[in-house]
Amino acid sequence: MKLKMDFISSATLNGKSEKKKINYILKKVKKGSVLVLDGVMKPGEEMNLIRETMRRVDDGFPGIEVCSLRKEMKGLKLLFDRLSDGKERFWNWVTHGPAKTDLKTGMTLIGPAKIIKKIKKNPNSFSVLAEV
Amino acid sequence: MVFGRFINWIFNFFRTRQDIRLGIYGCTNVGKTTLANKIAKDWTGEEVGEVSKVPHETRLVQKKEKVVIESKGKKLSINILDMPGLATKVDYRKFRKYGIKGKKAKERAREATQGIVEAIKWLNNVDTVLAVMDATQDPLTQVNVTLLGNLEARNIPVILVVNKIDLKKAKPDDVREAFPQYPVVDISALKGENIDQLYETVIKHARRAK
Repeated sequence: MKLKMDFISSATLNGKSEKKKINYILKKVKKGSVLVLDGVMKPGEEMNLIRETMRRVDDGFPGIEVCSLRKEMKGLKLLFDRLSDGKERFWNWVTHGPAKTDLKTGMTLIGPAKIIKKIKKNPNSFSVLAEV
Repeated sequence: MVFGRFINWIFNFFRTRQDIRLGIYGCTNVGKTTLANKIAKDWTGEEVGEVSKVPHETRLVQKKEKVVIESKGKKLSINILDMPGLATKVDYRKFRKYGIKGKKAKERAREATQGIVEAIKWLNNVDTVLAVMDATQDPLTQVNVTLLGNLEARNIPVILVVNKIDLKKAKPDDVREAFPQYPVVDISALKGENIDQLYETVIKHARRAK
């Protein structure tokens, strides 16, 4: 059996709305790809990824396994990150469109639950057990 | 969207401001309903829902309203909201080992996915959350991380409840190591161990969502 892995740069998803990001991810995962994203989604986006996954569960697609490593931010970096979030929120408010956000610094792995059997997460790393 | 927010604001303005909507969240089979039953039974004499070893037994949000808890002379009126277990996957084939097969298994899986969607929607309508974790399992799951990240982003107070401490394999300190920034209470909902400390912590930390 073959395993397809897609490594996605943050540029691919940055600036996209939450809906578009989730659609992009689930379309690929449902086809059997394991995705490695160069970044992490916001907590709200991750929760809605789970919600949307549940809506798409069927006999052949039981869901996903997902793991993200978020870069801890402190001091000035945290302040700039919050300011950047505020800028995004303000811009989305001005344009009245769906929120378009960038991925945060970090890494995410998302794959079909049929293939990814287990993810063991540590604070700064994770290991994946896959079965194809 | 703006209209929805306005309606929500009106609803919040006029609703009874005395009861705290206490959401009980967590992965499947961590003992959420056992805990909800324990709290409800202690203060009202009635249970909230059925408990089972089969995952996704709770597939609808179960409520118990106007439960008044008390600790050290202080009282708090809460509405208990026992949520379906959160998960990133629901495979109907897994129900076979519990004797649920065919159409029934598929139906249960379908209801379970709807329950998870419902539980996530309810995050907009809870004031305080008890995030229940199984003391015998690794707490660093993506579901727990995502749940806590969400609650933090929404500024919803959260108390980590480490359940099943009566079991030999229990390692409650793993939760403290994984999530040191939250208040943690170790309990056995089944045996009622340490439940008074939970009531005290809820009264101390619970507040209405902003």
